[in-house]
Amino acid sequence: MLELLARLELGLIFRALMRNKIGALLIALQIALTLTIMVNAIFMMQERSQQMARPSGLDETNTFYLSNTIFAQNYNTQTALQQDLQRIRQTPGVVAVTQINAIPLSGGGWSMGLQTKPGDDLEGTGTAVYMVDEHGIEALGVELIAGENFQSSDIVWREVGSTKWPPKTIITKALAEAMFEGDWKKALGKTVYIDNHQPVQITGIINGLQAPWNGWNGVERSMLVPQQLDGKGSRYFIRTEAGRRDELMPVIEKMLADSDRGRIIRNVTSMQQTRDESYQEHQATNTILLTVIIVLTLITGFGIVGLAMFSINRRTRQIGTRRALGASQWQVMRYFMLENLLISFAGVILGAAGAVGLNIWLVATFSMSPLSPVLLVIGVVALLIVGQLAVSYPALVASKISPATATRGRA
Amino acid sequence: MLTMNKISKSFITDDVATHALRDIQLHVNEGDFVSVTGPSGSGKTTFLNIAGLLETSTSGEYLLDGEDIAKLNDSGRSRMRNQKIGFIFQSFNLIPDLNLFDNVDVPLRYRGLNTAERRKRIEHHLDQVGLASRMKHLPSQLSGGQQQRVAIARALATSPRFLLADEPTGNLDSQMAQSVMSLLEDINKAGTTILMVTHDPSLAARATRQIYIKDGHVSELTNKNSNLHVVGEA
Repeated sequence: MLELLARLELGLIFRALMRNKIGALLIALQIALTLTIMVNAIFMMQERSQQMARPSGLDETNTFYLSNTIFAQNYNTQTALQQDLQRIRQTPGVVAVTQINAIPLSGGGWSMGLQTKPGDDLEGTGTAVYMVDEHGIEALGVELIAGENFQSSDIVWREVGSTKWPPKTIITKALAEAMFEGDWKKALGKTVYIDNHQPVQITGIINGLQAPWNGWNGVERSMLVPQQLDGKGSRYFIRTEAGRRDELMPVIEKMLADSDRGRIIRNVTSMQQTRDESYQEHQATNTILLTVIIVLTLITGFGIVGLAMFSINRRTRQIGTRRALGASQWQVMRYFMLENLLISFAGVILGAAGAVGLNIWLVATFSMSPLSPVLLVIGVVALLIVGQLAVSYPALVASKISPATATRGRA
Repeated sequence: MLTMNKISKSFITDDVATHALRDIQLHVNEGDFVSVTGPSGSGKTTFLNIAGLLETSTSGEYLLDGEDIAKLNDSGRSRMRNQKIGFIFQSFNLIPDLNLFDNVDVPLRYRGLNTAERRKRIEHHLDQVGLASRMKHLPSQLSGGQQQRVAIARALATSPRFLLADEPTGNLDSQMAQSVMSLLEDINKAGTTILMVTHDPSLAARATRQIYIKDGHVSELTNKNSNLHVVGEA
């Protein structure tokens, strides 16, 4: 091993570098800075991508919703609501429809705390609240994995300003796990308390349904309650047969608008669009981070090329002398690639320390997850490869320097 | 040892051909000490470069140790330079960032010798030129004469059969020049063939053979070895 290192001239390269530290040090620092920022930026991108990839629990490709705003006076909201839902259900291609108080991932909704025991001073488990009827599960396209759906007799009207909750609820598996020590099956049939004292029995568990807020750490915790809102503003959530969503969105909008002139139908939006808009900021941030990574890597690459070219121009005669003394073209090329590898090693060691340090700060300040060591290793390897690729052209130029430069070349 | 048969070298720049060497005929035997003189621009350095495989001829045949150089690729020529030829340059060409030990080590690493063998050779040859005690010094810490001695040690460390010296005393004062010249004579007496380019007629006269180059043509001025015959042009 030592013989191999000796043949690779690593010791000679290192000692020569130590006598010309400034340029090498600047490049090493640039590599360190690039690694520090790159690894943490990739980590942040990964976190965002993972968030964006989380399933909402909904049948997103075949669902949409719309807002119904009543402006007419002396309006029977309850009758009109039932008529609207009936008309929508009868539209060919519609699988199910429900009135709903909030839309998953839309950014706005209701939240409450659920407690396993009643009491004012107890801390509840936060959950998003979706008020739906017995068609809610089918309309949302969520999967009931335990218990049973609401019956039509379970559905109660909720007047504006009411604080009364119905006695049944269906909750997500994640909410059940949060409340019952990780065992969601324990939740079925249990009575929990909402608004500190009101008992609610868990009659069903659904696999997943995300809350309206994608940045909330409890985004997977949601509950369905069998209620219909009695008010002048409501939302209808509609699920269509596969592939018919886009065709039915304008049809249903027109049908509802034509059926009753005392209200406005607006904000007809697909769930896919809602998801896209919900993660627009994530996408933009990822694009910016990716741009930063690419620009930084390019600057580092060009810095390496520049330093290597400067070094080669300064050492033209020295290279010619090495060639005269018997160095092959490959040995000259290898010299510069190994020199870069040594500089890059110093840079990535500093950079790895910097990346971990920055991550510790990010974790402490923004409650991010700790950096994956695998990502750090990938970053280190990637920058070593970038260094080698960047130096390969100058090294090739150096290898082409004629040995005759030893007698004719510049000093 | 070294045979050049109708060696020519021309450079073409801006469609103008410059003939640096024309149909050189030369044979150098093992153990010769050949000095090469001639006016500036006569082709001395080109001749030395071709002899030392630092550049290739445009035409002609060059045999070194019986091997046809034209048949060697770049790697083959590098190997031959490393194994058979030692170089001494006018400007010493030591690597300024490396100490004396490491400077002498450079060609030995290209040879692929193990650490112990390299160390033995470096110490021996630095001792031979009287600089063993300064092996950790940088070239910049030495005088010109001392630097040239290091360059000689570096050239000898690979045990070359053929030593090429390009104005080895050109940058030295007369006392240092005499000292270096004496060293080269000792090396030659020990059996190493030397080809030395010089401007100094008195140093050239100390060689066993004197070759003169003018306008790319070679002629032999003197040959102290009576049994040798050199083919040359007037």
